[in-house]
Amino acid sequence: MSVTVQVADDNKSATIKLHERFDFSLHSDFRNAYKDITLLDGEYLVDLSGTDYLDSSALGMLLLLKEHADAQLSSVRLVGFNDEVREILNIASFDKLFQMG
Amino acid sequence: MNDLQHHGRTVLVVDDEQTNRLLLRTLLGRDGYHVIEVENGEQALDAINTLQIDIILLDIQMPVMDGYATASIIKQRVKRFIPIIFLTAKTDEASLAKCIEAGGDDFLIKPFNYLLLTAKLNSLLRIVSLYQDIEEKNRSIQQHNLQMMQEMNVTRKVFEKVSKNDMRGPHTGLKYAMSPMSMFNGDVIMAEKNQTSGLDLMIADFTGHGLSAAIGAIPIADVFHTMTRKCFLFTDVLAEANDKLIDLLPTQMFMAAVMLSVDRSNNILSVVNAGLPDVYLYRNNEIIRSFKSQNIPLGISKMSSSQFEVEMQPLEYGDRLYVFTDGVMEATNPQGEMFGRKRVLDVLSEDIPDDQLFESILSRCAEFSAGAEQTDDITLLELCHLPQVSYPHSAEFSNEVREPSNWSLQFDLDIKSLRQFDALPYIMQAVNNLQPLESGRTRLHTILTEMFANALDHGLLKLDSSMKNSPQGYMAFYQEKQRRLEQTDEGSINISLEHTLQGDGRGGRLTLTVFDSGDGYDYRALDLGNNNAYSGRGLKLVSSLCTEMKILGKGNVITALYDWQADLS
Repeated sequence: MSVTVQVADDNKSATIKLHERFDFSLHSDFRNAYKDITLLDGEYLVDLSGTDYLDSSALGMLLLLKEHADAQLSSVRLVGFNDEVREILNIASFDKLFQMG
Repeated sequence: MNDLQHHGRTVLVVDDEQTNRLLLRTLLGRDGYHVIEVENGEQALDAINTLQIDIILLDIQMPVMDGYATASIIKQRVKRFIPIIFLTAKTDEASLAKCIEAGGDDFLIKPFNYLLLTAKLNSLLRIVSLYQDIEEKNRSIQQHNLQMMQEMNVTRKVFEKVSKNDMRGPHTGLKYAMSPMSMFNGDVIMAEKNQTSGLDLMIADFTGHGLSAAIGAIPIADVFHTMTRKCFLFTDVLAEANDKLIDLLPTQMFMAAVMLSVDRSNNILSVVNAGLPDVYLYRNNEIIRSFKSQNIPLGISKMSSSQFEVEMQPLEYGDRLYVFTDGVMEATNPQGEMFGRKRVLDVLSEDIPDDQLFESILSRCAEFSAGAEQTDDITLLELCHLPQVSYPHSAEFSNEVREPSNWSLQFDLDIKSLRQFDALPYIMQAVNNLQPLESGRTRLHTILTEMFANALDHGLLKLDSSMKNSPQGYMAFYQEKQRRLEQTDEGSINISLEHTLQGDGRGGRLTLTVFDSGDGYDYRALDLGNNNAYSGRGLKLVSSLCTEMKILGKGNVITALYDWQADLS
């Protein structure tokens, strides 16, 4: 499984972990990972430590997750990214939209 | 043994011996196959050309053309898959191997076992069915592709209609490279002349590929061209484009873009980078500045025009700007390496004549990725700041002829309105609708812009125009203007325009009056004859463009008269 998800016992956070290139091929896997999760006032963590590349459709997928989280008054935090991934996130100014680190 | 699926399939029996043909016809006919008999290879080729043959039973030793020759001709000439089973009396391995080499799919040694023959027929005909399925699917995919290309062409034509001016050329300083279909990879370049005779440019890269990316480009091109022609500031254009994309696009789609605006009156470049790779400014054989992305791509979150991070830079003639989309950086070689920023910078640091830099980057990138499958299209733009520019003629506003009429307009703007709203495009639009002045439009806009800037900058905000004496000072001036505009609590500007018919009604006089609530100044000391000073240049320009200009009151009222005559043509 290229995307795994784990929900914390207190139902306050969910960690979505990517295990390879984060691109369009993960479209449905990524969405399926969170679509049935409901956190109230919680935090979605996206663990990018297994990822060395994201493309613009991955950025789009993160925006979809944010929309999902916003509707549950929850936030999205991106963690574990390497320098290359950070640069891609910076170019898109995603630090203005997501919690980082 | 009879397989219903193969019922009615046509078997071509090629044998010079009548008894063999008779035997096969009888047996196969009984099992529901349709049998066609020929006596040699030549007749077999004729049959294949004229009849729908599904499978061939081929004897080897025949007069005229033997089985081996026949098989290899059939395999060369016939595009679809027709299996060939050799029927041979020879049992040595070399002969049997030759059957397969010549293009046979199987063989059977005479005298053959009929059960074995039908088993082989069935198995090969199943493969024929598979082939036919695949062919059918390929045809339908090709059909779909064709249809999609046609739809894309329609979309491209619509897009070209929306943005019909190609601003490239030696007289504009603009070069860019995009493949004809690159808009279907989501890349778009738009260019339009701004009010300072410089260019406003937008280079955009939509997420995704294909029609969905192209569809977003059309309304954005419309917003860009229409608003820029109507003299809106580039940040207003960006805010409007952003709103439009938020409304139109699904959440996961957005548009990374760079907006460039070259102010030729002051030789200032403004850059807004929202999600594209660094923009480079090249001067005297080196990159003197990079403009990093500081903005969220468009179509994601609501922004007012003042929220965009704008970077400004004084320009010198000969300066070159380079803008890329991801395609250049991500062009990949057969080893899977990316072209990357470093290789772009390498080209720019080499000893290459300035006017060949653009082509060098392109050719280097093409050499690098030669032989590898292209993942993204390459979009590269260069804008050179030339001392003189001329643009291809563009269709501006409607050339509709209106009868001159008498009218007046008045705009009263308090400080809040001034802070939030750029009234000039609306005023120009109103004037243009009431009385289109074909040749005088740009001139009138300059007059109004300068009078308004004078009232706001000096009258209300009391900015010292001598700050503008150096390009760096110009930028400080601009920042200070923003700061004072935010902090000033009161003040207002009134603009009035009055048009009266003149002569026999074929011309008119437009009286423009701009009043500000500021303290005024000693305008008698203003030296309108000093050509070189940045300060005072605005009003000097106004007085040179209109019939008559007067400074009134305590220096807080300016009136300009603009006379025009209808073209006699």
